[in-house]
Amino acid sequence: MVAGRGSALAIDIGGTFTDLAAIDPSGRLVLAKTDTTPRGLEEGVLAAVETSGLAVEDVTAFVHGTTVVINAITERRGARTALVTTRGFRDVLEIGRANRPDLYNLAYAKPEPFVPRRLRFELTERMSYRGDVLVPLVEHELDVVIAALRELSVEAVAICLLHAWANPDHEHRVAQLLEKSLPDVQIVASHEVSGEWREFERSNTAVLSAFVKPIVSAYLSGLRNRLRGAGIEAPLYAMHSSGGVCSFERALAAPITLLESGPVAGVSAAAALGRRLGVGNVLTLDIGGTTAKASAIRGGRVRISTLHHIARTPTSAGYPLQTPVVDIVEIGAGGGSIAWTDEAGALHVGPRSAGAEPGPACYGRGGEEPTVTDANLVAGRLDTDYFLGGAMPLDPDAGTAALGRLGRTLGVDAVTAARGVLRYAVAQMARALRLVTVRRGLDPRDFTFVAYGGAGPLHAAALARELGVARTVIPPAPAHFSAFGMLLGDFRADAVRTHVGPLDPVALAAALARLEDEAAAELDEEAGARSVERFAQLRYVGQEHTLEVPLDPGEVSEDLLRRLRRDFDAASDEAYAFSLPDAAVEVVGLRVSVAASPDAVGWVHESPVTHGAFRARDVDFDQHGGIRRADVIGRDELEPGVSRDGPCVIEEPATTVLVLPGQRVLGDELGNLVIEEAS
Amino acid sequence: MDVLREGFHAVTDEMFVSLQRTSQSPVIYEVLDFAVGITDASGQLVSQGNGIAGFLGPIGEAVREAIERFPDLGPGDVVLTNDPYAGAGSHLSDAAMIRPIFHAGEPIAFAGAKGHWTEVGGKDPGSWTADSVEVYQEGLQLPFVRVYRGGRLDPDLVAVIRANSRLPDMTFGDLTAFAACLEVAERRVLELCERYGPATVAEAMRLVHERSERLARAAIARLPRGVFEAEDAIDDDGVGNGPFPIRVRVEIAEDRVVADFTGTHPQVEGPVNCTRSGLVSGVRTVFKAISDPYEPASDAWFRPFEIVCPPGTIFTAQRPAPVALYFEATEAATDLVWKALAPVLPEVLTAGSFVSVCATSVACTHPDTGEPTLLVEPQAGGWGANARKDGEHALVSVGDGETFVIPVEVCEQRYGVRVERFGFDVVEGAGAGRRRGGRGLVREYRILSDRGSLTVGFGRHRFPPWGVSGGHDGSPNYVEVVRADGSTTGRFGKVARLPLAKGDLVRLVTGTGGGFGDPHDREPELVAADLADEIVTEGEARDVYGYAI
Repeated sequence: MVAGRGSALAIDIGGTFTDLAAIDPSGRLVLAKTDTTPRGLEEGVLAAVETSGLAVEDVTAFVHGTTVVINAITERRGARTALVTTRGFRDVLEIGRANRPDLYNLAYAKPEPFVPRRLRFELTERMSYRGDVLVPLVEHELDVVIAALRELSVEAVAICLLHAWANPDHEHRVAQLLEKSLPDVQIVASHEVSGEWREFERSNTAVLSAFVKPIVSAYLSGLRNRLRGAGIEAPLYAMHSSGGVCSFERALAAPITLLESGPVAGVSAAAALGRRLGVGNVLTLDIGGTTAKASAIRGGRVRISTLHHIARTPTSAGYPLQTPVVDIVEIGAGGGSIAWTDEAGALHVGPRSAGAEPGPACYGRGGEEPTVTDANLVAGRLDTDYFLGGAMPLDPDAGTAALGRLGRTLGVDAVTAARGVLRYAVAQMARALRLVTVRRGLDPRDFTFVAYGGAGPLHAAALARELGVARTVIPPAPAHFSAFGMLLGDFRADAVRTHVGPLDPVALAAALARLEDEAAAELDEEAGARSVERFAQLRYVGQEHTLEVPLDPGEVSEDLLRRLRRDFDAASDEAYAFSLPDAAVEVVGLRVSVAASPDAVGWVHESPVTHGAFRARDVDFDQHGGIRRADVIGRDELEPGVSRDGPCVIEEPATTVLVLPGQRVLGDELGNLVIEEAS
Repeated sequence: MDVLREGFHAVTDEMFVSLQRTSQSPVIYEVLDFAVGITDASGQLVSQGNGIAGFLGPIGEAVREAIERFPDLGPGDVVLTNDPYAGAGSHLSDAAMIRPIFHAGEPIAFAGAKGHWTEVGGKDPGSWTADSVEVYQEGLQLPFVRVYRGGRLDPDLVAVIRANSRLPDMTFGDLTAFAACLEVAERRVLELCERYGPATVAEAMRLVHERSERLARAAIARLPRGVFEAEDAIDDDGVGNGPFPIRVRVEIAEDRVVADFTGTHPQVEGPVNCTRSGLVSGVRTVFKAISDPYEPASDAWFRPFEIVCPPGTIFTAQRPAPVALYFEATEAATDLVWKALAPVLPEVLTAGSFVSVCATSVACTHPDTGEPTLLVEPQAGGWGANARKDGEHALVSVGDGETFVIPVEVCEQRYGVRVERFGFDVVEGAGAGRRRGGRGLVREYRILSDRGSLTVGFGRHRFPPWGVSGGHDGSPNYVEVVRADGSTTGRFGKVARLPLAKGDLVRLVTGTGGGFGDPHDREPELVAADLADEIVTEGEARDVYGYAI
């Protein structure tokens, strides 16, 4: 983000804490953490700014990551929304794809649509898939619909007409007429939020966009007013799901793009860190209280998926969204994940979490069930007196008691139970990392591993050994890494279109040029030098699923398409051990991403001062060397160029770094800790 | 050991994705009509990945049969079969491939995949039909043949397969996709052996079986004990015979469950028979649902569950009985056990659903490209209600699973038909109850090419989905064709190659599921909500639910 002469400031609102990261006028990294204030999130934001001690008049850029969109959806606290669609198709939203993922639950319940049938209206009109008008729009039918919308006090309306991806004229006209008659109602037409085919997915995208629009408008304008009131005059930016930033104004126009605003920032930050370190392949893992989130960055490029699902689980179909989101795999294994045994006496960890309240048993807030954090405490990996920098003393007896109870059901003592819990949790976290690598034909050993989040640095060393990763990086302030990442985000816009056809240079050149214009127009004016990336979603004729392959820069020629074709065969081979070099290939979709990188952000890292009174303690390294006496040091002792052999424990205010026997840790110039196998 | 158990699931997970992504058959990549699995060295299933509920069992069966037929199986060998009557069989379209996995010269495991190939020859395009009378009409038979030897594909066999398929590239593509998925499995299992040692891997597999059986027995102990019976009928066989009575007697004892189908109709002339393997898969679906839907499936899980049925019935057909629509018999067997147990398990099971794959095939010429097109798809329909909830509207059938209906926009571009309606079918009075059955669907195709043809296999056309505890029955599935001149052909449940002409409208209708409990007991506010949503009509609310409007 914009460093300039003032302070660039980022705020990440999480479920428990509101995190602030800023780079002050001297280039120093400033961090602050306050409680999230669910009743008025702006309060927590202002409190964090105050706590940071930054001068408001110095703030030159404000970047915000927010969970307001995802929360409104998962808690169903959005607008009363209606849907207008093509005659004959009002049930598409409720039919969904009719799939039954919960195969053996014969009482499966489908996800409930966000617009009930009584609020779904049909209009006579029809487009063909080629975009030809088959039946003209019968405009006067809208009079009845408008009257009903008024009568039913609808607050937002989504419009999704068949084949609007091929020709949006009818949708556009309907939107115009509705806006004219219902000036206080938010209107979203599907072509404004998605240029892709598949009517259910596009309808759902339009519906959820409309559903959250009023709440996001109120929130962002409220926040803007409060910030202005507090004397912050800087431009305001929001982090969107594809890993870039955009102005509040742009965010207001397409709020659904803020969906995964928080988690993607960490991935962006890891990509930026990779650039600073000169590595393109970065494997990221963000371990928080409830989940671990993994993503793989290849060749410096964050992987974007254009179909995202909310609330999809192995037992629920969830809600699809056609919006670009950084590809992140999330599994239910974090510090607060609860360990339990099933009827057959087998151990499991998660997905249930003790959360912040009551929290792990060792928090002493009434939690009784053993968690991963309790297991780490029993194993000596956490300091009872220096959790969250000493702000929260842990109760070791409560933790041991909880693991003792678990151990009794397994027929082992608390120490062995703790080992089991940690092994299981690490296996789960490793699974998330394999899902983003091995499952996509990638080898984790080709990656630099960046671990962050409150519990990331504690498990990183074991995960690195498990996956055979050579180099693990614990960035500065790992517990604030997502907020920090927002300072590094590019301005960015993605345009995606369904475009079905052969590899024809003329048609593709025209379509790509249109998309590039569209994406560029979305980019804020402040953005400086622009870079363009173009992608084609390809498949062998006869297949359904596509692979996204980047196009080389330059004119779309026969030659360029031959290279694209070759790259596609290679990508298919890599991902699925399968290619058909003689079969015909077709394009199904195109994506153009336009980004403007701000000036390279520089920062001077000063390690937070720890209290320095650490004593060596016994730590259980389990299969990596058993119980060993380990040195405990403050992170500030690892100045750039200073290294230390494992086993050792490195304490910093919001997290603990564990280094296994046989590993070595080194402080680098950027303030990272780099862990490698010693041999 | 818990870590290795996770490791086995990771292997089948990866096999599943590999096959889904590389297959050329829409039935695999869109309908997910396939299963992958790994077994121990003796052919006992350790972990399985399924896209549909069926196929509970055939991978292990296929491996055991392959071991028996080929005592000299070596590294890099792959066995291929689609024999409906042998272990693992269903119909000729379902091919299974098996690969042994050797570690240091010793067999340690097997990888298997079974799924629907779009084309294996036979009298009708797509290799399934509604009017075959012998298996010989249904396609090429591949009764356990070694398609790879030591990693080398047998070119002669490939030539035979290609020559017998209308879409040789697609069929060969499926064969290679299966082979690639088995290779993935081999790689991953060998990695586990390298990391943990082959002895530990074998021991972990044994423990999976032990744990599975123990959990299954514990689950059975919680079920209501007794003898529960049900009767029903399969409509017809597509060649003019029927209906055919079917019967089951389910006995739940302390540590085992027996489903006895004695008294069920003998095998029939048309293609609605299934073989024993199809019966086992179908019944196991209900066994899994009532014991534990979430524990991973293994062969050991089903040891305490017994299935009795004499040979030669519509559920245990013998060569050369036709089996192209085998899934209709499999679904009927599933539904029958379900019907016997629904009254005593009113929260786990539901009232009857539309319970038919409603397989549909529309052959046309694409009006924009002039190319022939073949649209093959299952339909979604209404499900039954239970004590806890209303039935679901528009869900794929029990034999399907992670199966996606084809989007209207994709359908029109790809197959050159026009979809004129895709929505709920509100059938007055059907499925009424304290908890009401879910609604089925109407899907309409306008034919845009000069000629075309229609083949469908809709079960539950004569006998509607059943209600429970005073809930009303649902409504039947049917198909009709409104001709360009305004006349109507149908309603029918099964038809093969019905000629279509430009302007014809094919109307595919699936049933409402059965209701649960007396409709007069339905809370008035729920009836009011259904009225506002036009899910019940005013007449229905007044006359069936006793609601004062």
